[in-house]
Amino acid sequence: MTMRYQRQEIWLYLQFPLLSLEALLPELSPEQQSKPIAVISSEKNTQRVLCCNSQAGAWGIEPNLSISTALVLCPELMTLSRQPEKEQQQLQQLALLAYSFSPVVILPNERKQKSNNFKFSTRPLGLWLEISGCDKLFKGYNNLLQALAKKLQDQSISSVTGIAHNPMAAQLLCQPEFQCQLPTTTEIQQQLLSTNLSQLDCSTYQQQSFKRLGLNHVGDLLALSRSALSRRFDHQLMDIIAQLKNEKPFSARRFQPANSFRDVIQNTQGIFNKENLLFPMKTLLQRLCLYLSARYCHCRELEWHFEPLIGEAKTMKVQLSSRHNNWSDLLLLSRLQLERLELPRSIEQITLFSNQFIDVPQGSFNLDLFGEHHCSEQSSELIDRLNARLGIDALSRPTLNQDYLPEQASSLANIDKQTDDNPNKKSTAPQPLWLLTEPAPIQIRNQQLYWHQPLTIVSGPERICGNWWQTEQQRDYYLACDSSGARYWLFRETSSQRWFIHGLFS
Amino acid sequence: MTNTEIISNLLTRQDTWRGRNRRLPRSTICTGHKDLNALLQGGWPASALIELMPQQLGIGELSLLLPTLKNHSHNGHLCLWLDPPYQPYAPSLSAAGIALDKLIIVRSKNIKEWLWVAEQSIRNGALLLAWVRQQPARYTQLRKLQLAAAESNSSAFIFSPIAALSAPSPATLRLKLDSQYIHQLQITLCKLRGRVAGAKLQLNLQQYPSQRTALNQLPTGRHRTYSDSAMLASQNSPLHN
Repeated sequence: MTMRYQRQEIWLYLQFPLLSLEALLPELSPEQQSKPIAVISSEKNTQRVLCCNSQAGAWGIEPNLSISTALVLCPELMTLSRQPEKEQQQLQQLALLAYSFSPVVILPNERKQKSNNFKFSTRPLGLWLEISGCDKLFKGYNNLLQALAKKLQDQSISSVTGIAHNPMAAQLLCQPEFQCQLPTTTEIQQQLLSTNLSQLDCSTYQQQSFKRLGLNHVGDLLALSRSALSRRFDHQLMDIIAQLKNEKPFSARRFQPANSFRDVIQNTQGIFNKENLLFPMKTLLQRLCLYLSARYCHCRELEWHFEPLIGEAKTMKVQLSSRHNNWSDLLLLSRLQLERLELPRSIEQITLFSNQFIDVPQGSFNLDLFGEHHCSEQSSELIDRLNARLGIDALSRPTLNQDYLPEQASSLANIDKQTDDNPNKKSTAPQPLWLLTEPAPIQIRNQQLYWHQPLTIVSGPERICGNWWQTEQQRDYYLACDSSGARYWLFRETSSQRWFIHGLFS
Repeated sequence: MTNTEIISNLLTRQDTWRGRNRRLPRSTICTGHKDLNALLQGGWPASALIELMPQQLGIGELSLLLPTLKNHSHNGHLCLWLDPPYQPYAPSLSAAGIALDKLIIVRSKNIKEWLWVAEQSIRNGALLLAWVRQQPARYTQLRKLQLAAAESNSSAFIFSPIAALSAPSPATLRLKLDSQYIHQLQITLCKLRGRVAGAKLQLNLQQYPSQRTALNQLPTGRHRTYSDSAMLASQNSPLHN
């Protein structure tokens, strides 16, 4: 059976038995979290315990207990109703985390889930990873499994695993704990053959017919010939058997990160000052960074929404130049901008949204020894920081324009606008370094120009014409100086014969 | 940190005074002017705060830095101008060989912001040109910038008004700039470690044709305007013949 594959696939099934509970925990305060808690799901008008924390387990609460029995066992039990959307959201995040361990991550099929609603609602959620070939990066499969276990622990998500050579078997072989050792092929085979048939995901009718036929273990089923099986069972079970025998590939779409990022943290108590906002913001940014590294891209803009219980939500946009895949940098920038923002008194919900991404350019790994990339990285970091603290209007950059009138040939443009540096006409005449935003009129006293002090003309004129399609401008520019050696750029408008100062040579 | 580590860290700093040893190998940045390099013992001190005090704006205080700016921007480094007194004129900067996309102009609203921007710029390795405008910067504030510059790799240039000359300053280098003759910048050394203050240097700036003209000697008479010449052109055009 194993000879048919060039490289034997290794499937890891990650199951999250307490996901329904863990998806709801972040909303609770720490003292609430230490109490016995159970998640209740309602099916066919009866409310049953779906899962519970260890404190509740100590009181004898276990899954499938009815809510009234549970409350009798433990009167101070805190019951939460199940929220499938939250679970799905959490599962997506876990898929993103798993995606950093293997490129093949498969989530349970949503279509099947709907048609088979009853079955799936009680079964804990899980996902598959194909980890063959990922051992080199982690220096061995056991290291990979340990690293994954640690990551999940950091997120305070409890998980159990099953490992086999096909996804179906991995799910069947799900152990009650997280395996940090990769089992050998013979171990897997033995375990699979001795697994009880009641674990198999099929209808109760099917289970009864197994009993009638005297089939107890998966091994008994696999020992039967194909013709014998197809006479007795429907095609759904035949599919499962084919998959268990590695005869049929697992047909499911691979997990792909979504096109945009949106994540929400709720705090039912409300957050009253900006310092306390930083902690949930940090969590959200850490999730964003996981997403960014999964998609292998950089983020261009962050959008924060701060929603109070009553009143209007506040939105804050953080512009990023590039090269930020580090949550601490993003937090610093958001924090600088947050200082300028007026917030409502209490914040209940924080949302982070981003849909503007650029791909990391090819070969942008920092391989050069001498840190040439470093300086451009530093400068974009600086621009981002200044932007965040001072606002976009405080920053500008001189730009060249295709025009002859000095005030139009040079302008201050917004920093995020790309400039094309085209030295068009090279003037031989002297040009100043400083330009007055508006030409200032000069007086004439005793046949001498006077601006703060008497000015003398040194050289000139250079005639500049322009703007002929509107009001025609014709100016003669002169270089002038005063008694202390400062040099000025003057012009005389030919139509009005008036003198203006337009710049300073510096 | 061990004691030797602390000492060696201190010794590598620009602002540590080391007794009589005046011939210290220091890292410098070429100013682009030969005479000025000689005056400053190699060039602008690196990792240091440099204070320039022009007598008046427009005497050539910015031209002095053009070679430094050009080198800096061509190495791909950012150059930040904080609160310049006027708008920089892009064509002449471009003609001087400065990459305009490496230039950022920042306007601060108050002294607090001014200091923050200056410090961020120094710490991020950008070349800083800052003009003191609102109120004279205090010793402690400049000291903060001097410390930031000493810890980073960049130099920072501060343009202070001439009135700041009498006040003490933590800057590594202080220069007074004035001009006796046109196109000539006179540089007076006010403070540099290892040099006696008071050394003077005349620096020739970019030469323009210079003969002074009084106003009444200027070519007078109304220049021909566009409409006049257009009329002339239409009279001479072959269509009318």
